[in-house]
Amino acid sequence: MKTLKNYLYISAALVLLAGCKPSFENPKGTKGTADFTRYIAVGNSLTAGYADGGLYLEGQQNSYPSIIAKQMALVGGGKFTQPLFSEAQANGSGYLKLTGFTPTGSPVTTTVTENTAVRDQVTIPGFGNVILYTKYSGDINNYGVPGIKLQQIMYGPYGNLNGYFERLLPGAPPTNNTTYLDFVTAKDFTFFTDWLGNNDALGYATSGGAGDVLTDKTQFAQLYTLSIAKLTEKGAKGAVATIPDVTAIPYFNTVTVGAILAGVQKANPTVKDLYISARTSTDIDNLIYAPRAATATDLVVLTFPTSKIGQMVNSPAGMVPYGLTPYAPIDNQYVLDANEIALTKDYVTAYNTTIKTIAQQKGLAVFDAFTFLNDIKAHGILVDGVSANSNYISGGIFSLDGVHLTPRGYAIVANEYIRAINKTYNASIPTVNISNYRGVKFPN
Amino acid sequence: MKKLFLLLMWLSPAIVCAQGFQVNLNGQKQIGMGHTGTGLLQDGASIAFNPGAMAMLPENYIQAGISPLWFKSGFNGAGTNDVAFTKNRVATPFNAYGVWGPKDARWKVGMGVYTPFGGLTDWGNNWQGKYVLESLDLKSIFFQPTVSYKLTDYLSVGAGFIYNYATVDLQRAIPISDPDGNTGQARLKGHGKGYGWNAGVFIKASPEFTIGLNYRSEVKTNIKNGDAMFSVANSAQPNFPQPNTFEAGIPLPQTASIGFGYTASPKLLLALDVNYVGWHSYKELAFDYASNTPTLQDTHSPRNYKDAYSIRGGAQYKTCDKMAVRLGGGYTTTAVKDGYVTPEVPDANRYYLTAGFGYKVTNKLDLDFSFEYEHLFSRTQTNIESNLSGTFKSNVYIPGVSLAYHW
Repeated sequence: MKTLKNYLYISAALVLLAGCKPSFENPKGTKGTADFTRYIAVGNSLTAGYADGGLYLEGQQNSYPSIIAKQMALVGGGKFTQPLFSEAQANGSGYLKLTGFTPTGSPVTTTVTENTAVRDQVTIPGFGNVILYTKYSGDINNYGVPGIKLQQIMYGPYGNLNGYFERLLPGAPPTNNTTYLDFVTAKDFTFFTDWLGNNDALGYATSGGAGDVLTDKTQFAQLYTLSIAKLTEKGAKGAVATIPDVTAIPYFNTVTVGAILAGVQKANPTVKDLYISARTSTDIDNLIYAPRAATATDLVVLTFPTSKIGQMVNSPAGMVPYGLTPYAPIDNQYVLDANEIALTKDYVTAYNTTIKTIAQQKGLAVFDAFTFLNDIKAHGILVDGVSANSNYISGGIFSLDGVHLTPRGYAIVANEYIRAINKTYNASIPTVNISNYRGVKFPN
Repeated sequence: MKKLFLLLMWLSPAIVCAQGFQVNLNGQKQIGMGHTGTGLLQDGASIAFNPGAMAMLPENYIQAGISPLWFKSGFNGAGTNDVAFTKNRVATPFNAYGVWGPKDARWKVGMGVYTPFGGLTDWGNNWQGKYVLESLDLKSIFFQPTVSYKLTDYLSVGAGFIYNYATVDLQRAIPISDPDGNTGQARLKGHGKGYGWNAGVFIKASPEFTIGLNYRSEVKTNIKNGDAMFSVANSAQPNFPQPNTFEAGIPLPQTASIGFGYTASPKLLLALDVNYVGWHSYKELAFDYASNTPTLQDTHSPRNYKDAYSIRGGAQYKTCDKMAVRLGGGYTTTAVKDGYVTPEVPDANRYYLTAGFGYKVTNKLDLDFSFEYEHLFSRTQTNIESNLSGTFKSNVYIPGVSLAYHW
């Protein structure tokens, strides 16, 4: 019995030992010179957590502002509420889902249409159809509205034209007349992030320069100055982000001229060139397009239906294969040609100069998304053993729409914001653990 | 039955690290004295410490010991508040020796089974570095038949052949999500073998002063036909062909030791060991897969270890005929260079303190307890291969017990 007792003592001692973990004294995070009591996020789809071609609950829950807010809470930040879709309508607007791969390895996506939050559709005269979503009426800290341009933030009726904005407003279309800027600044706040301006260039670019226009540089500067003045007028501090180079996203780098041509040449080796309808000048006022052979510097959009290539179509020269002759070039909307790229880049550079200049004047933190995403495109990024890059699907950062980010991508962005905020405001908000966030979901 | 149950509580199938993944737990009497023994004549553990000393042992030995080991490591990601700790798993390095020779003969033969290398680190499947490593369980068991011969009354030599049986079980997450958002899993599991030798010289310079020299060769251990198991979402599975096998090699390093013993009085024994471990042979950890795809390439992870040194000292004081208390300690330099620290072996310079208690149950039976505490200095690192960045801190707690029968 005595030995048994000894064993028990020894066992007890060993159990105690098992509790002796090394200890870490984390320096207590500090908010520095900023105040995170009420943080609001101003921006577009990226801010809302839009992903996979739609706004849905999981994307919202992984939005970069929500990630930042969680980390701010560790240094005394306040409550952060997002206009989430309900569980029952978790699929929000609907979104793209990867359902498999073709035998040649091309991804197959389908649109999720069940359990959406679509409540109605209205036709706004002179504008068109607007899809409406289930209204949200609670507190809001994340004001991200997919689709919004900086150019539209002072436009009163905009709440009738954008279903994502409309769902946050109490009124029904066409009665809404609150500007976005007034809406987000109605309630006092102590800190903001502002990532507006992407759509002022992106809308033009993703439509191949055909479906939208670039916001005038002067107008951009005026609106940016005005919005930052309004956001900082009561002493709030904040962080802004620059606009990424639109050519850094997989939307423009996945379906390439070379790849399409190689596919055509497999069946028909005599084909030498693809033809596109290309802008003839980088002068913004010169809208003349002409057919020419495509080169690697022309970018084809991710959504281009490649099956169109080679189909016999009517042309001034009779029936010709689509995209393979100057008589039936690939339509403008599918290609961001070299001149359009140059034009877009010029505008984005000007926008970013505005953003950085004003941020500096106001002492705001800047997350330079332009440089950051270009760097990822050039070199990839390696975090905690996960290597990520700008490739479609396999890169892990961009979601299935090729423009917006995956939870992993948004977490990486959140950390960059946090670093910028910490630097500018002498704060020490802890960064987030990237390995907790997923890339693209692969089907079984 | 109860006794047995409690003893079994301490056992679990694994072996853990100390200094790289070297485990210095080759005998309880020696652990108590700061793991010194190259220049001493304590017991059958001389097979591991210095085969040259075996012929000088005054008696024959059969003994076995075990040192359940708690490797408590923590990681704090750079710039984060997140702290991860290794799971509570116990490794069980053990040692067993048999030494025999006819009374008054100049020679002795022996057999040692011991675990000089190993590692058990289990960080779980939900920590910051899960894509680098979830868990590693590396075991290595040396089987060493040994002979020793006494050339003169003051000089003996000995040598043994080493057969190493090793098993490895490595798990990490793959950053590919399935439809439910779960990550993929990789598991490499296999066993292998290696050969080497261990030789030594023992000198009784005077009745009080003894010297030992020991060299143990590198043991190149190769794992062939290990199972390479990858499970990812079905649509991504063709990138990771199954079933698949891997080959890997680990060069367990050569060691050289010199040890001194000094009998200060009939009751007091002092010891000092200096130790070199040729870790420079561990240049990379390579996995060669039987089936490769563009996604699943062979991996060559640089390790580029550097040689490590340790100095150890210890004392044994016999409080009476039946009892001895032991104390010791030492300092070991890390084998892992800056930038190469990985969660599989979060190594650092370390010091250790040991204590032991010996009790003669009968004239022929020794019961020895040992306890070792190791503290690894905090190490803040960004790994060059994974960019995993943060601070590792580790403590090791190793109680131990052995029984030795001698005649």
